[in-house]
Amino acid sequence: MSGGLSRPLAWVLLPITAAVLVFILAPLVVTIAISFNDTAFVVFPPHGFTLKWYGEVVSDPEFLGSLAFSTELALAATAGALLLGVPAAFAVVRGRFPGREAATAVLLSPLIFPVLITGVALLQLFAILRSDNTSLNLFLAHVLVTLPYVVRTVMASLMLADRTLEEAAQTLGAAHWRVFRRITIPQIAPGLAAGALFAFMVSFDNFPISMWLADAQHNPVPLLIFQRIANVFEPSLAAISTLLIVFAVGVVIVVERVAGLRRGLAM
Amino acid sequence: MAAPPAAVDFTSLAGPFRRRLPWPSPASLGTCVQLLPAVLFLGFFFMLPAATLFAYSFLTQSAQGNVGLPLTAAHYQHFFGTALYSRVLLTTLRISLTTTLAAALLAYPVALVMVRTGAMTARIITMIVIAPLIVSVVVRTYGWEVILGNGPSGVLNWLLLETGVIRHPVRLLYTEAAVVIGSLHVFFPFMVLPLASALGKIDPSLDDAATTLGAGSGRRFCRITFPLSLPGLAVGGCLVFSLTAGSFVTPAILGGSGAQMLGMLVDQQILTVYDWPFGATVATVLVVIVLAINLASMRLFDRRRRNAR
Repeated sequence: MSGGLSRPLAWVLLPITAAVLVFILAPLVVTIAISFNDTAFVVFPPHGFTLKWYGEVVSDPEFLGSLAFSTELALAATAGALLLGVPAAFAVVRGRFPGREAATAVLLSPLIFPVLITGVALLQLFAILRSDNTSLNLFLAHVLVTLPYVVRTVMASLMLADRTLEEAAQTLGAAHWRVFRRITIPQIAPGLAAGALFAFMVSFDNFPISMWLADAQHNPVPLLIFQRIANVFEPSLAAISTLLIVFAVGVVIVVERVAGLRRGLAM
Repeated sequence: MAAPPAAVDFTSLAGPFRRRLPWPSPASLGTCVQLLPAVLFLGFFFMLPAATLFAYSFLTQSAQGNVGLPLTAAHYQHFFGTALYSRVLLTTLRISLTTTLAAALLAYPVALVMVRTGAMTARIITMIVIAPLIVSVVVRTYGWEVILGNGPSGVLNWLLLETGVIRHPVRLLYTEAAVVIGSLHVFFPFMVLPLASALGKIDPSLDDAATTLGAGSGRRFCRITFPLSLPGLAVGGCLVFSLTAGSFVTPAILGGSGAQMLGMLVDQQILTVYDWPFGATVATVLVVIVLAINLASMRLFDRRRRNAR
């Protein structure tokens, strides 16, 4: 880290930074605060204190159905993205072949394309193919959006892995598979875990792909919240949001512990 | 992409293949097996549909809803020739640009503090900046809807009324400003992180040398820190601009009809009007804007790097 902040500069920068952090936390804190409101409508400042909205949320079959579907979808998409993404990341980092850079660009290309438009394009493809299995369509679409994140994190951890350790093990007579299992995997495990967790969250939070492909029986949580913002004015919506915020904070803490946040996200 | 078959050295493949498992081996056939599934998947579920969508923008939809020939540029003429659509395009560009500039201005101090304070503070700031990234956009936008509520119980209105800044609640929701605030919040991490990584790479001895030579802090910032942070600023700016231009949730909830953007127009044309070719046209315009911005900044920095050599 470079030289530290000089006194006059710190006087300017620290208050701005503090204000920005307040700005970042404000909508989350406000959402959590109003979820304990004991009025039938969202009001601010919060009025009274009750946990009844949480009771209502955990016994709301529509929400529970969405939650179960989102979780299954995110787990399946993460597994699919790992299955396709981990070998591909190995190939572009370790392989020697012409067009390696082009292959990397292809693997990461969905990241620079507006996700909303990827969604429309997939809706069109599935319509042309007459594929009306909503779960399958959503699964394929979510593998597509999570794949680049897995590729990027695994690539980053592979580049940081120390190859001389593998060479040493090989020189000492370890078989290829054994080197891979005992040396390579442990070195990239934190990156792999962070990539998987992040892929799970990308799928779990996704709106702009799901909005085109979901239907009433397969309604992921973000879509349910979006629909309710327009016509539910109870603090129950804030309670759902609070549960999601707590879940996300938990994931952030785990990623930070496992791999370090910035490295885990390969940013 | 595909290498000519002659480039594959079969003799080198035979050896490792007899005994070793191909996956971790660097042999070209192994590499091919590793890479191909992902590339085929992306080809079929990403490149092909994107190309089809682009093609649709030049096709004609019959009264029965079938899309086919003849080829036409009429949808583009319709898009650029109708005042309503031009306004949506301009609103999208204006909101994206404002958000990008605001993000750059606010991210700079935060990124500087992140790289120049102790490890603990830096870690806490990083956590606070990144944490919202993992909270769904829909949830965060809901929070802003509550804060910006137009009635006296909207958080910001309540605050302004209580402190006596205003006498009557002001209209915050369903304006472009609301969309800018929401987008700024949603995409802020994409500006801070590249900027912090560019600032972190600056060699501190440059600053020390400049100080020794008598440069004041303002001059050091203008001549050293700022120019060296430009690549980070460009990456962050591209990301924030592209993501804002292509967003749907934030303008739909916070802007409504008061700030219609291209994403909402695509949604309306395809899911409400069922006009596939025109929806595809709007989508293509959006993609072209995003790709143009990204290519321009890439070109700019490639040239700078080449000139520097």
